Amino acid sequence: MAPLPLVTGISPKEGPPGTKIIIRGENLGTRANDLIAVEVCGGECSFEWQSKNKIIARTGINGQKGKGDVIVTTLSGGIGSSTVQFRTYTETIGPLKESAVWVEESPVQSLAWGRRTMATSGYHTVDDPLGLSMEGNDKKFPDDLREMFPENSGDLSRENFSPCWFLLENHHGTSFEDLRAGYAYLKRKVEGQKEGQLSFLKTHVGAVIDQLDTMMNLKKKMDNDGDVDIAKRVHNLQDTISKSIDSSHALFDDVLKRREKADNSRAALSVLNRYKFLFCLPTNIEKNASKNEFDIIVNDYARAKNLYGKSEIPLIQKVLAEADEIILEVRKELHKKIQEMPQGVEQQKRFVKSLINLEIQQIGTKQAEMLKITDPAWDAIASRAKYIEATFKRTYEEFQEKEKENLQKDTTKRDPPIRVLFCEEITEIASGQFPDLWRLGQSYFTGELRGVNEPKPGNFKQIILNAIERFCSYVRAAILPQNQKYSTVTAWSFSSSSQLNLFSTWLPTCLRHLRISYASLIRLDLPNEALDIVLKLIDELRLFCLTTILKKAIDKVKKLHEKESWELSVIEFPGATSLPAKLEELLTEALDEGQQMCLQLEVRENPLFDVPNSEGHREISKIIETILECFSTVLEELATERSDDEIQQLPKQIISGFPTNSLLPHSINLNEAKSTISSTITITWEHRLLCCLANAAYCNKIFINNNLSNLFVKYGYPVPKLALENSRSNVNMVFGNLLEMYVEHKADPLVSTIEPSMYIVSHFKWDGVEKFDNLSPYAHECLDNVVAVYSEIFAISPFLLRPILEQIIQTIAEELARLMVSVDDFNVNGKKQATLDIKMIRDVLRLYSNERAKQSFNEALDAIPKLTADENKNVETLLVSIKQRMKIQLMCLTVVNP
Amino acid sequence: MSKKPSSSPPSLHKVIMVGSGGVGKSALTLQFMYDEFVEDYEPTKADSYRKKVVLDGEEVQIDILDTAGQEDYAAIRDNYFRSGEGFLCVFSITDDESFQATQEFREQILRVKNDENIPFLLVGNKCDLNDKRKVPLSECQARAQQWGGVPYVETSAKTRENVDKVFFDLMREIRSRKTEDSSKASGRAKERKKRKLKCTLL
Ligand SMILES: Nc1nc2c(ncn2[C@@H]2O[C@H](COP(=O)(O)OP(=O)(O)O)[C@@H](O)[C@H]2O)c(=O)[nH]1
Ligand SMILES: [Mg+2]
Repeated sequence: MAPLPLVTGISPKEGPPGTKIIIRGENLGTRANDLIAVEVCGGECSFEWQSKNKIIARTGINGQKGKGDVIVTTLSGGIGSSTVQFRTYTETIGPLKESAVWVEESPVQSLAWGRRTMATSGYHTVDDPLGLSMEGNDKKFPDDLREMFPENSGDLSRENFSPCWFLLENHHGTSFEDLRAGYAYLKRKVEGQKEGQLSFLKTHVGAVIDQLDTMMNLKKKMDNDGDVDIAKRVHNLQDTISKSIDSSHALFDDVLKRREKADNSRAALSVLNRYKFLFCLPTNIEKNASKNEFDIIVNDYARAKNLYGKSEIPLIQKVLAEADEIILEVRKELHKKIQEMPQGVEQQKRFVKSLINLEIQQIGTKQAEMLKITDPAWDAIASRAKYIEATFKRTYEEFQEKEKENLQKDTTKRDPPIRVLFCEEITEIASGQFPDLWRLGQSYFTGELRGVNEPKPGNFKQIILNAIERFCSYVRAAILPQNQKYSTVTAWSFSSSSQLNLFSTWLPTCLRHLRISYASLIRLDLPNEALDIVLKLIDELRLFCLTTILKKAIDKVKKLHEKESWELSVIEFPGATSLPAKLEELLTEALDEGQQMCLQLEVRENPLFDVPNSEGHREISKIIETILECFSTVLEELATERSDDEIQQLPKQIISGFPTNSLLPHSINLNEAKSTISSTITITWEHRLLCCLANAAYCNKIFINNNLSNLFVKYGYPVPKLALENSRSNVNMVFGNLLEMYVEHKADPLVSTIEPSMYIVSHFKWDGVEKFDNLSPYAHECLDNVVAVYSEIFAISPFLLRPILEQIIQTIAEELARLMVSVDDFNVNGKKQATLDIKMIRDVLRLYSNERAKQSFNEALDAIPKLTADENKNVETLLVSIKQRMKIQLMCLTVVNP
Repeated sequence: MSKKPSSSPPSLHKVIMVGSGGVGKSALTLQFMYDEFVEDYEPTKADSYRKKVVLDGEEVQIDILDTAGQEDYAAIRDNYFRSGEGFLCVFSITDDESFQATQEFREQILRVKNDENIPFLLVGNKCDLNDKRKVPLSECQARAQQWGGVPYVETSAKTRENVDKVFFDLMREIRSRKTEDSSKASGRAKERKKRKLKCTLL
């Protein structure tokens, strides 16, 4: 509590009731409202607060006469004390004397009207005949003076006055010096009086002599008249006296009447003045209520109840009853105001507190019975919660309506879609409203808003949970309508896929809004259960956002074929182009964006892929699989797309033996080969096909398992193993298809030339062979063709040699076997020639022959009639020399690992 | 009967402000009491102030009676003067009339108190207005001398110059007067006691 008020100065220090005084001192109230009472001589004053050191007051009419303390009471300090005293005296005013001050007139005075001596002056302050102050003599003289002086008295006006009695009674504490001074004073006074009489006579000596003369005359006259007329004269005198009595009565009656009137209005006025506060109370309450100044009402009402509550005066009771009625209305209004929304929490709390205060003050009155508000603070919470839900709903509907309007208009694509604006709005509402609701709840549960009755809280936690649940439902309905499965809010579906596409670019914005409002909820210290509701929505949104980003990549992958430049840039896998690297680039971009938007964690968020095999995993895996599927398709499409001129060109190259272009000497290194292919030489379909084959093989063997897999690890995604495996087998299938296509394309013309060149070209017959000194032309051509294919493949990718050549050679062997079996007859040279041809082909192609090819070669040899040992030797010798001759030409086919 | 000195209430010194109206009696009092200077002039009737101050290390109470200077009734004035233990007789150095009036105040006080050596200070106020001075310093000092060597101090209620000094100097005089008196009085008291004792014996 603040220090007690202390009055140390008053100006003036004395006066009749109604005197205006300036009171000075310490701690006289911190502000006007703090000062609640000023009392002078035990009587209440009207007052005006000036500062904590100064008050202007007017003494009231019900203070006691004489000296009394000046007591200031403040709310903050309590009831104070004073070092100075005010002396109230009665300024006696006759009925004919005007006065600016209303004076309470004691009943004694009005009774003693007639006896009053006009000489009595209200200013008479000299009580002591010795002119000494009475201070120090306050204590009563201990012994009984009547016992000591049985004959005498202390009353100055009595005959038996005893100075001893007087001095003991009034001056037993006065010092001797002072008594001497008092004696001197008394003496002076008496002398002054004597002197006065004498000087009076001196100055009026003429008049005195006149009076004496007149009296002498009167006496002479009376003596002359004798006794005759004395009775008549007495009679006359009596008449005159009674007449004058009558007229004086009349005069006084009139005056008395006026006085009575004046008394009445004076009394009324002073009552009004004294109870001004009370009489103004009802109007003041109403005035303040209209200004929302409920604090003042509470104060005024409390003060009135304190001051007048116990009064038995009917008028006061009536006014108080009226105030009670008005307060009842104020309470009703406050209860309404408490539930009015929107309004600030602080204001709401103030209303609740004012209401509670008024309720407390009305306890026990009949108005308390007339309006029972169980728990106003809870009503405040409930209405706030209801308001939040209503606001969400209204906002949701408003924005839906707005979108409908906008659909008709041609909206520019730059503006954010309406639901993005909605997301912004509703998250802002949430960030603004939840803290208010929560704070109100805190105040409620700390007892700050505790009222008259036992609090009856509902389930506050459930209210918070519901409100947050509701908030999330609306957000979800607007931006994740596909996830809206179980809520009461109807989803706000997209009217077209273009609308959805346009919207999805704004997902990160929505996510940001949601996160901001999540952060503001976290700061509130809400229960985890409540936060988790929002967290779940954020997780959903993050996943959705992520999948949207990745899905964007699908479309880009589909267009990858436009990006193929046929640069053989993969060092570890000759023949593979930069296409896989471009896929990697696309994926990197998508994964990076996704990582930044959705994987990076903000306050109180969990990793998206924490739970293995969660929905998130499946989603991502599915999208990755789609992306890679698309990539396979791109590979295949690139290989099969041909332009018209190439179709015409191709067979010619094969038929004419050595290819006319593009095939490069094996010695040229890869880098040169690359630059040659990409810059100077038109890229043929075969090249592209081979490149695609190489790409497919590269993807299958290295790229998917290494590069892509690492990418996921690098950006913190779970590696979608299954998707990668599936796509590898996809790519492998593509490889198979393309291989088949290439083999068919190369083998068909090659094989089909063998038979014509064996028979038709030189009218050849196996039973009419004349010379045996060289390889047959068909065998020669066949080998040349194989070498040509070899070099075409080798120029692109040596890795492809074996799979392709094995297939081709198998068909060659099978064709040879078929041709040999179908020969009717061989002459000796024919036998030898056939054996030489087959053996030559078989030996040269041995490195790329699979089992079936080898078997077919043997079948072909078996179909030739048996050679004698000589014939056989003959063939072998020639075979060796031919091999020797063609060594350089056929060398390529002998390198085991080109 | 035996009271400890510490528990006895602090001694009270009663000071009375006298002087013509408007010379700054109230201003001096309020400056001393509350450190505030009142600019506007509101005639005083009779104001009472009392607070605790520390006089040379001892806690005492000062009671100040601020008077109007021209009381309607001599009786009232005399009554005020009678209760005073020390007087600050104030005039304004810018107003010769107020200086002349001090003569009468002095006489009235002496008449009422009947004591030539009553604690008394002659105070020339408003010394901040030196450029408007009407009463030469020498004249003031001469008068103080003529009155049996009472101290003369110039003050300013506006700048607070010498305000504390006049009140404290006066209190010191009152205090030393009281100790003189009480030593005399206690001497007498002893005498009286002896006599009383005799009485009872008789
Ligand atoms: N400049 C100046 N003005 C003063 C001084 N003392 C008082 N006054 C002014 O003189 C006027 C009268 O002062 P007041 O104290 O009421 O005189 P009182 O009648 O003797 O009590 C007021 O307007 C004061 O502001 C002072 O020391 N210097
Ligand atoms: Mg004054």
